[in-house]
Amino acid sequence: MKAEDVKTLVERILEGMIRGVEIRKGYVEVVVDLENVVEAARRLKEAGFDHVKSVTAVDYPKESKIRVTYHVSSYLNEELARVIVGLSVDLPRDNPVMESLTGIWRSAEFQEREVYEFFGVTFRGHPDLRPLLLIPELAEKRVLRKDFVVREESIYEGVPHRYE
Amino acid sequence: MSNVDRVYVGNLNVAARRAREILLGKLKLGDVVDWATTFSLWPVHLMTSCCGAEFAATWSPRFDAEQYGALPWVGPRQTNLIIIEGTVTRKMACALRITYEQMPYPKFVIAMGACALDGGLFYNSYNIVRPWEVVPVDVFIPGCPPPPEAVARAIVELRRKIREKKVASKWLIEGWRPDREPVKPKEDVCSWWRP
Repeated sequence: MKAEDVKTLVERILEGMIRGVEIRKGYVEVVVDLENVVEAARRLKEAGFDHVKSVTAVDYPKESKIRVTYHVSSYLNEELARVIVGLSVDLPRDNPVMESLTGIWRSAEFQEREVYEFFGVTFRGHPDLRPLLLIPELAEKRVLRKDFVVREESIYEGVPHRYE
Repeated sequence: MSNVDRVYVGNLNVAARRAREILLGKLKLGDVVDWATTFSLWPVHLMTSCCGAEFAATWSPRFDAEQYGALPWVGPRQTNLIIIEGTVTRKMACALRITYEQMPYPKFVIAMGACALDGGLFYNSYNIVRPWEVVPVDVFIPGCPPPPEAVARAIVELRRKIREKKVASKWLIEGWRPDREPVKPKEDVCSWWRP
C-alpha cells in the first residue's frame, strides 16, 4: 500500500475531524483538533495502526503553539507497516494540556513522559507522569523549548539569538 | 629497588627473579603491594557513551590490553579501576559516584575521551557534569574517541604512576593516597534519587 492509498484511507476513517493532511515519501501527517484527538486515535487503532513509534513535539514560539505528534504504524498488517502516519495536535503554548493516549497505545507511555519533561506538555490521564531522563530541577526549565538558551560556541557569539 | 621502572609487561624470567627476591626478603612488603597492584588493574565496565566501542577494542585480540594485567570485570566490588568511557550525564554521575564508593581501595580512575575531559561535543549541554568534579581522576585520555592504543598507553601510565609514587602501599598505610586531595562533589549528585 502506497502512501497515497494510506492518505485516502486515513481521510476516510477520520472524516470530519481533519484540519490538514500532508504527504511526504512514506509518511502521512494528519492534524486534528484538540477535542477530537482521542476519538481519532481510537479510530486509527481500529483501522490497524497498533503501535506508536515515537511521540515528539515541536515548539512554534512565533505562532504561540506546541504541536505534539504521534508517529503510529503497524506490526501485524504488512500493508500498513510500510507507511508511518503522524497524528498531530496543536496546543496553546502557555497552557499545553491534552488527553493522554496511553489508554489506546500503551507504548506511548514513556515517550509522553519525555515530551512532558522536555516541553512541559501535561497529559491528563497518564498513569505515571514523572520526568524520565532529566533530574526534576532541569525538567522544570522545559529545556527543549525555544526560549531555553544554552551557551553557544565562541565563533557564534555576538550573533543575535532572539525570538519575536 | 633501583630498577623500578623496568618491568611493565609480563616477562617470565624477570618475574621469576622478582619472586626470588621477594622470597629471599630483599623487597619490602609495600613494594610487593605496588608490584601486585600494577599487575592486577581490573577496570569496571562503566560504559556511558560511544567510547565503549574503543574500550572493547582495547581488550580484543588485536590490541590485547590483557597483557598489562588488566581485564574488565562486571561487579564494582571486585574491581579497582574505573575507565569513564565518555559523557557523564547528571543521572549517570550518581551511578558513577556510587560505583566509585563501592570499590575497595586502592582504586583509580581514568577519564577517557573529550567528553570526560571538558564536555567535548556536549560542552554547553544542560545535562552533563565533568567527571573530575565527581571522582578523582588519575589519567586523562584526549581524543574523540581515543584509539585503543591510547587506552593501553593510559593503563601503562597509570602503572608507572603507581610504582614510582608508591601510591597503593602508601594508601594502605595512610588511609588515603598521599599525592592528592580527596574529591567530594560540590552538589548532591543523587538528589533526584528517592528510593
